[in-house]
Amino acid sequence: MSTLLVWREKLQRIYALYSIYIQKGLQFVTGLVLFWVINSNIGFMKPASSVFCTLGLAVICTFLPMTITVLAATALILAHFYALSLPIALVALVIFILMYIFYFRFTPKKAWLVLISGLAFSLKIPFVIPIAFGLLGSPVWIVPASCGIITYYMTDYVKVSAAALKEADASGIAANLMSFTKQVLASKEMWLMVMAVTIGILVVNFVRTRGVDHSWKIASAAGAAVTVVVSAAGNIVLSTNISYIEIILSAVLGAVTGLVLELLFFSVDYSRTENIQFEDDEYYYYVKAVPKVGVAVPEKKVKRITENQPQETTVIREDADLNNINTENDADDILLTRSLSKELGLEKQRPE
Amino acid sequence: MDFGKYIGGREDVMLDKRKIRLMTRAAIYEKNYGEEDFKISSYYKKDYSSLNTWVTLIWITVGYGLAVAVLFLGWGEAAMEGITLAKLFVFAAVAIGAYVSLLIAYGIGAGSFYKNKHIKAKQRVKKYLRDLSRIEKINNKKEIN
Repeated sequence: MSTLLVWREKLQRIYALYSIYIQKGLQFVTGLVLFWVINSNIGFMKPASSVFCTLGLAVICTFLPMTITVLAATALILAHFYALSLPIALVALVIFILMYIFYFRFTPKKAWLVLISGLAFSLKIPFVIPIAFGLLGSPVWIVPASCGIITYYMTDYVKVSAAALKEADASGIAANLMSFTKQVLASKEMWLMVMAVTIGILVVNFVRTRGVDHSWKIASAAGAAVTVVVSAAGNIVLSTNISYIEIILSAVLGAVTGLVLELLFFSVDYSRTENIQFEDDEYYYYVKAVPKVGVAVPEKKVKRITENQPQETTVIREDADLNNINTENDADDILLTRSLSKELGLEKQRPE
Repeated sequence: MDFGKYIGGREDVMLDKRKIRLMTRAAIYEKNYGEEDFKISSYYKKDYSSLNTWVTLIWITVGYGLAVAVLFLGWGEAAMEGITLAKLFVFAAVAIGAYVSLLIAYGIGAGSFYKNKHIKAKQRVKKYLRDLSRIEKINNKKEIN
């Protein structure tokens, strides 16, 4: 565990040093995967689905806010739909406008959550979403998650029924339009997934906000179990074709994601929990204080030998020492030494 | 003079840590919130909240119209089969009821949302102005010295 914590500290340090490059790198990768997924699934407009366009959009979006990536993805989807059929593009546009009116007007900065949700479904790991959103967000995140699911199923339906939707005559267009609207809005599988993700987010968020020990781990496990049960039960009752392997694997991956998120964002030591009780004129207070676990990255000692006098200086290296402490034993030794020096008052004061 | 709060090796390049902190905080604020917050805080809370609530209600009306149109596109033909006057009244009542409920829900929600937004923006602007006045005081003190 201590090795993991040391690694976390190292990651934090690396992030602090290169945050701008890491953020832009992540943004580029997200954009690239997103545009590649869209183009490879519904690439009806040939120029827009070229590698040049995919890469170009990803590069441009890297230097702009995430909201622009969302808009670019929306525009790309509409362009492909337009190449297939104008009425389909219009219905899709109306659905996107509805999403904007009813939710994204209020929190445009959270629009990227739709991308994450849609991407997770495209990559066949849907149940990572309820666990990640439930742990890091609030129940309101159900809305962007649902919008992402609706967008995914809309594009999936168009992908599957592309040949049928590309009807030329007027009566065919009208019939296709009605069928598209019906299929998109009444897809059993889509609503089942919306239901599973919604219940998953609510359960994970509810458990995570309780004052029980290991609430993040319990929340992740509960979220994984609930999503599996809901989707499997719905699959049987509604006779949908969701793969059970996909359900189970994505739930397991979701639980693992939950553990990683806990390590990154919520490292506490439950063994040192303090339960305190006190009162004032109006209330009795029952406070549970759980200390955070913080491990400093091991320091490297540099011995300076000068002509006058040998000096020993403690230096915190910013990059080169990151490869030094790899084994659990090393980390444990350093932690032990530190706690002992602290207790005995031997810790040297770090030079400014 | 308290040299503990200064950094830098030579006397002529001594930097005031406190001033750097304040200026960094002010710059971060300007970058992330500044423009929007100044715009919001130029309104009174009630004006800002009610103006945006009205705008939201207009958007909701447009959105509701679009949603009904899409639903009608999908199920309109089936609904219109064998329609009677009584059925039509029921449909109209349901549609109006849903619209009014949506307006009430969003009206209340938007009112509270924009009020909170205004309060938070005001608080941030206040903090920012306080930082600016502290920076000014440090500058003035330096000039006197």
